[in-house]
Amino acid sequence: MVVEIEPSNIEREFLLEALEKGIRVDGRGIYDYRTLKITCSPTYGLVEVQLGQTRVLARVTCEVTRPFPDRPTEGLVQFNADLSNLAAPGLDSSSGKPSVQEVAVSRMIERVIRQSRAIDTEALCILAGEKVWSVRLDLHFLDHSGNLIDAASIASIAALRHFRRPDVTIDGEEAIIHDVNERNPVPLSIHHTPICVTFGFFGSNGDLMLVDPNLLEEQVQVSSFTITLNSHREICALSKAGGVPLAPSLIQRCTQIALTKVDDINDKIQEALMA
Amino acid sequence: MAETKVVLPGDIIDTSLDSDEEESSVLRLGPGVAQIDEQVSAVAAGVLHSDNEKKQWWVVSNKRRYVPAEGEPVVGVVVARHGEGYRVDIGSAQGALLPLLAFEGATKRNKPNLAVGTVVYARVAVANSVMDPEIECYNSHTGKSEGYGELAGGFMFKCSLGLARRLIDSKAPVLNALGSGIPFEVAVGLNGRVWINTEAPATTVLIANAIKNSEFLDAKQCRQMVKELLEKQ
Amino acid sequence: MSRQELISPEGLRVDGRRANELRRISCRASVLNSADGSAYYEQGNTKVLVAVYGPREPRNRSLAQQDHATINVEFNIAPFSTSERRKRSKGDKRLLEISSFVKQTFEGAIQTAIYPRSQIDIYIHLLQHDGGTLETCINAATLALVDAGISMMDYVCACTAGFIDETPILDLNFVEESSIEVPNLTVAIMPRNGNIALLQMESKLHSSKLEDVMELAVEGCKHIHRKLDQAVLVAAKDLADKLSN
Repeated sequence: MVVEIEPSNIEREFLLEALEKGIRVDGRGIYDYRTLKITCSPTYGLVEVQLGQTRVLARVTCEVTRPFPDRPTEGLVQFNADLSNLAAPGLDSSSGKPSVQEVAVSRMIERVIRQSRAIDTEALCILAGEKVWSVRLDLHFLDHSGNLIDAASIASIAALRHFRRPDVTIDGEEAIIHDVNERNPVPLSIHHTPICVTFGFFGSNGDLMLVDPNLLEEQVQVSSFTITLNSHREICALSKAGGVPLAPSLIQRCTQIALTKVDDINDKIQEALMA
Repeated sequence: MAETKVVLPGDIIDTSLDSDEEESSVLRLGPGVAQIDEQVSAVAAGVLHSDNEKKQWWVVSNKRRYVPAEGEPVVGVVVARHGEGYRVDIGSAQGALLPLLAFEGATKRNKPNLAVGTVVYARVAVANSVMDPEIECYNSHTGKSEGYGELAGGFMFKCSLGLARRLIDSKAPVLNALGSGIPFEVAVGLNGRVWINTEAPATTVLIANAIKNSEFLDAKQCRQMVKELLEKQ
Repeated sequence: MSRQELISPEGLRVDGRRANELRRISCRASVLNSADGSAYYEQGNTKVLVAVYGPREPRNRSLAQQDHATINVEFNIAPFSTSERRKRSKGDKRLLEISSFVKQTFEGAIQTAIYPRSQIDIYIHLLQHDGGTLETCINAATLALVDAGISMMDYVCACTAGFIDETPILDLNFVEESSIEVPNLTVAIMPRNGNIALLQMESKLHSSKLEDVMELAVEGCKHIHRKLDQAVLVAAKDLADKLSN
């Protein structure tokens, strides 16, 4: 088993010392996000997101399946996250059991998109009880340099918005699926776009806070908190598990900061999709 | 050096010398060059270097994984303490052994006590294919530390091995340019780890970023970048 | 799908509770013989059984940490816990997620530094499922850990809250939880200083409403704290009586 090497004592001490003065090891400000680059490929639904050195590839595909009997008019949305040793030496995908990080990331994305009903599943119905679209979102983590969750949420939303499915016409009991060359494919119907913003907390009581921790900061942090918001200022998910307990006032402050970040990120996604 | 010649693995290297041929002469092949069936060919991609006088050939490539070589300075992190020494991570395939007595003035009674996670600057003492590497924090001939030992305070970051090799040159443009502007301490390990220390964390961050950015810049661009950074400060 | 009426015009919920009312809680410590600490916890119709083993020697030597104890949580849902009998595989991501939440929560609460090179196992068994899995797991695990005599900074008390028709509601049951319109917030606090050890939320909630919902959940946590305290006292008294005889 590959053991992740912990950061050395001087890295830890320096990070905290600098943070107390409001400086971060990569020269960013406390509330600065890393450079975000969203690349849409010519293929529909294939988007790569680079958040600093962290790189995530999202791919959306669809196929026609039979709906669940208890929900005959709803399409399916499936998620899969692949966090392999490709991205970082500390990750171990060989044992077969999903790693803690993989579970955390894939469940978070699933909760963010499925539970907040970002995708209109009823619009994915072709023939009630017979045929529905099954949309599948695959996330591949290419390079791990901290804050996988934010990068994954941006990639997921961008890919879902970029995706086009083949058009369908209904002729009585027959559904005709048009080839993409024959008729323009149609975008998915998306209600809202939830985006995750992650905060890292440092110091013995977690009173030092920063946005978008990088890998070293993630290793040193005592606690982290992810808040997911959409452009209507609605909270779609909150997640804070473990680490040092935080004062409730910090949660409110994070929400305010996250609101501005989400607007910036949504603009960036819009820009990338228009290009 | 007349020109840079880039070789790819499998390229046959012309080892015939311009000067009068001596059948008995021995060719010295360094890293990235090997003899395959009567011929000398490259086994790594990189820039071919040669020294005609000493009949040496070697290929310089920009690797990220460190392979220890005797005498090279490295920056390592203590990962465990054993009875006879410390196990130090120097980025190589195996952890290096740092004996308790390999420090300046260390005796059986008076040994330095390093906590796990301590960063040390050391020299590779033993490096071969059958043994785990061994490092030491003093010059075993003189018994003096010569700058090696525990690195306290400051900050450590990783860079490519090629950049580390360029930084260790006393003429490294980025370090010289920075040094003329701000005072700082630096220890470069050829295992791709650089330790720096200054008076203020802000300066340390600035220097660390300047060094990381200098990877693909030439001397002139380096000086320009450093100038801009110092002005911004 | 017809939307179910979750709050009646009289302000009562599907199970007859008021908006700010908890379900009936009953709990007991020291229910198992072989475990070092155990607890049985009921909150409404959700029932869990927790066994704590440890601090003991780690199963796997490589997992031993030199400076603190490792915490291992296994969460299991009994196949008979829901109306539809269903066996879940060990690799189910939902199960793994809950166990990892419980693990992370208690890593911050247990004073792991005083048990170096050892392992603390927490086995959680959900016997009956009626919403609020995570909250009951955390509350039951707290009680079992106290029963095992493991040093903790404080109790960890968890509670859920939601928001229906402009009213924050406390302690969601399964019907309320599975309604997609109801935001589901689980919060775990350390009651002594009120700091938040865990916070999870699903579904949409406007950011301005968060404060109210959280406040209600925190109130619920404090109430649960008193209940847990009573259970600990009962167990302690029981022991004291036996010792004095």
